[in-house]
Amino acid sequence: MLRILLVEDSPSMRRFARTALEDLKKQLGELEIVEATSGFDALRWLPRGRYDLVVTDINMPDVNGLELVRFIRQSPVHRSVPIVLISTQSSERDRERGLGLGANAYLVKPFAAEDLQRTAVQQIGNASS
Amino acid sequence: MASSLLASRSRAALRKPTDRGPIREFLAISLAGQLYGVELIQVQEILSPPPLTIVPRAQRYVLGVCSVRGQLVTVVELKRLMRLAEGGAVRRARILLSICSGEVVGFFVDEVRQVLRLSESEIEPSASALGGEAPEHVIGIGRPGGGEVLILLDLERTLSR
Amino acid sequence: MVESGDKVREDFFSEAQEIVETLSRNLLKLDDAHRTKRSDPGLVNEAFRAVHTLKGLSSLFGAQTMGNVAHHLEDILDDLRLGRVPLDDRVVDVLFRAVEVFNELLASEKSASPPPSQAVEALLARIRQIGAPEGPVAATGPIEYDLDVGMLAVLTEYEEHRLRTNIEQGNRLYRLRVRFDLVTIDKALEEIKESAKKFGEIITYLPTGDAGSADTIELDLLMASMADVPTLNRELGAENVIVEEIPRIGGAAIKAETAEAAERIVNAEVLEQGMSLVPNAQRELVSGRDKDTVSLRSVSQTVRVDIRRLDHLMNIVGELAIVRGTLAKVSERVRGEGQRSLAMELQRLHRTFERRLAEMQAGILEVRMVPLGQVFERLARVVRQISREVHKEIRLVITGSETEIDKLIVEELSDPLMHMIRNAIDHGIEVADKRAQVGKPPIGTIALNAFQKGNHVMLEVEDDGRGIDETAVLDRAIRLGKVSPEEARELTRLEVLSLIFLPGVSTRDSVDDLGGRGVGMDVVKNNISKLGGVIDVHSETGIGTKIAITLPITLAIVSALLMRASDQTFALPLSSVSEAIPFDGSVVRNIDGHSVMSLRGTTLPICRLDEMFGLERTTGIPRRQFAVVASLGARRLGLVVDQLVGEQDIVIKPLGRSLRDVRGFAGATELGDERVGLVLDAAAIIEEVLAGTESALRGARLGYG
Repeated sequence: MLRILLVEDSPSMRRFARTALEDLKKQLGELEIVEATSGFDALRWLPRGRYDLVVTDINMPDVNGLELVRFIRQSPVHRSVPIVLISTQSSERDRERGLGLGANAYLVKPFAAEDLQRTAVQQIGNASS
Repeated sequence: MASSLLASRSRAALRKPTDRGPIREFLAISLAGQLYGVELIQVQEILSPPPLTIVPRAQRYVLGVCSVRGQLVTVVELKRLMRLAEGGAVRRARILLSICSGEVVGFFVDEVRQVLRLSESEIEPSASALGGEAPEHVIGIGRPGGGEVLILLDLERTLSR
Repeated sequence: MVESGDKVREDFFSEAQEIVETLSRNLLKLDDAHRTKRSDPGLVNEAFRAVHTLKGLSSLFGAQTMGNVAHHLEDILDDLRLGRVPLDDRVVDVLFRAVEVFNELLASEKSASPPPSQAVEALLARIRQIGAPEGPVAATGPIEYDLDVGMLAVLTEYEEHRLRTNIEQGNRLYRLRVRFDLVTIDKALEEIKESAKKFGEIITYLPTGDAGSADTIELDLLMASMADVPTLNRELGAENVIVEEIPRIGGAAIKAETAEAAERIVNAEVLEQGMSLVPNAQRELVSGRDKDTVSLRSVSQTVRVDIRRLDHLMNIVGELAIVRGTLAKVSERVRGEGQRSLAMELQRLHRTFERRLAEMQAGILEVRMVPLGQVFERLARVVRQISREVHKEIRLVITGSETEIDKLIVEELSDPLMHMIRNAIDHGIEVADKRAQVGKPPIGTIALNAFQKGNHVMLEVEDDGRGIDETAVLDRAIRLGKVSPEEARELTRLEVLSLIFLPGVSTRDSVDDLGGRGVGMDVVKNNISKLGGVIDVHSETGIGTKIAITLPITLAIVSALLMRASDQTFALPLSSVSEAIPFDGSVVRNIDGHSVMSLRGTTLPICRLDEMFGLERTTGIPRRQFAVVASLGARRLGLVVDQLVGEQDIVIKPLGRSLRDVRGFAGATELGDERVGLVLDAAAIIEEVLAGTESALRGARLGYG
């Protein structure tokens, strides 16, 4: 059973991403999508098990996406989980930083559901190979 | 080739004192037929002796140098350091890695027996046990309840004599 | 695209409406703050986030016009929050108008009626008028805080802007370490946010990654505040909240918290005190300082590296070098077995491997390199201090402080250099009167020069003092028994000067008008040769002294010749090898107790490695051996070994402290297969064999040539 952690503070954005990811059940089999409403919330969910993919927004108040990426990469349990960043067009520098900190891929808003799906499948696939 | 004591060391860290007093863990080793104890926290790792390169002109107790995962380690013979009789079993010999004055040093011992947990009451400090002239590297005598008596050593001090 | 069902559209409308309402409330607060001249960056940020979310929503659900307006509005708000555009009445008006337009747009979408295009166009026009700020915000001078590079690396652009703004406003920085229970984290977080807001701005929250236990989370809050530590401690400190100030570095008025900080402050003093530096030198020191002075921006682009990690990387490169060597041999064997095309492929692979390996090695070495300026700056301080003590006016001229050398070497250099400078000041430079008597300027000059020469770095310490008194040196040497009176007469000037490198010769027991003893040049020479360097001294009586040091650029990987003697493998850095010749016992002659052989008409002293090191032999001495000619400067010595193994790149690892008394080895290296070979210290061995009173003399006649 694959588990995906979705971290996004905008409710509709979160819903959109969730719907797109849930569609992947046909392709990937059983899927559990855990939603975190903020960087903090993600910190609460991370200790509760392993994940096969993390999708996170960068620009969140308090604990931002970059800090989350670093936290994940430093954690012995989650160290190698693939991380996909969601970023805005203008924040190229934040995106670069995220990649530098260890994120694997990024999507630029606005993106199509297929883009998220394709990236998710690719990253999950890479990790397990 | 290498074995580690990480598990027992972390157990040591979580040790709670019992009513026998705080417990110290010692690694029981054999040198020239006699049982000695080395404080477990001083030991980073136990190895089977790898090929040693002799270092000419070094002190007699230096058996040589070897490489442990890329790090250069000086190996000394604990028996010689303590001026004990030479010779003895080779097959069961091991090297104890310990950090002395910032350097990783390997102590060659005849045999490693087991880990002993001694409470304060089972340790007789050297002052009383050996009389006035106790050498600095001897911590004391260990008398585990119902077990063989062993001489407790401070590895770092054996080297700095 | 997501299917636009009715439910979905309803979702969109309700969320969009909510956002616009939030935005509206937020703008009211913003307007209020603006009119009462309070600034609340948090409000601007909230407005930005709201519009940003709206933009995202709109594009997701196909509300193009709305998305477009949101996009432009977002740009303005971004400029606002990053400080590129000031918040003035015009901007506030536009923001309010935007909220109205959003509402109109939403209404038109819901009722499927035509959008208010004119209103939209008008708004966009006004937005465009605001945009395009004057230019980049004026950058302030370098700001130095003892901020963890790791902390800076995870700040988003906006957070970094907030940090910079706070620093420019003169606020202090604090790190609040907070531990929260996962269960109550939301409430606890809100509480601390509320309390902290009263005293300043929380810039970001960093999880520390310290897994105290499975149900707590530890965070570092980076906070800017005008309040002082006691206040914050009192108001915010708690059992799970630790308040710590992040100290400021640089600026003479601020207390320095670290040694590094202290050094930077002193450098400022050095420059200010008008050490009558030659313009060249002044520029050198300034540039050295600039390199150390770090602005917020550049810190984030550099990484602090533990030199042990570099060593580890170098180890791996060293091991790859061994693999490369083996690859070469395998490729040879394949060729020998007639597999030509396979051999050629292997050859090509080997060459590529070699090139890449060399690049990687060079790359890692570059990281290890640091400019000598680091050491020079420290020395400048020493000079000032000592010259004050001895009441002499000295000026220090430095050139080449940007010359780079391996960090490990730099660390070992400061002591020897300090000794030499100490000597130069104490015994070289004369007091002002004496200088005047001989027509020298009253201010003595000491020059520190550094430059790269091929694979080496040359370091020179020069002074315009009285020069080395050869007679005194000779007297001393004779008195200490280093040289006999007869031999003394036959020594050349160079040889006399070299006597100062013998133990005891260059220290003074007598108290002269300067007081104090010099520090032994033998110690200095020892230190230098441990680094693989050579030291030479030149001097002219009454004119001055120059000490020249040649150092390898790096200690890390060297090419070495591997050889075997008595079943043991030794390595000798190729830089010390001049040649290797076949040898057998018959060529040996004995001159006054020293073994020598003839080499193309000159006499070469030789030394059997197995004898020198007392190596045990399991088999007899082979009939055919080799003499490896080790050379250092003009001195040569033939080392007799059983076998030559070949050339190999090695990583020299120093022997541990427990072996520091063992002479003759520069360290040890891995030979592959986890075996270890000792690396010979050519300088020490040559010294040992050729030194001693008679030998030194004989060495003079024999070894030079």
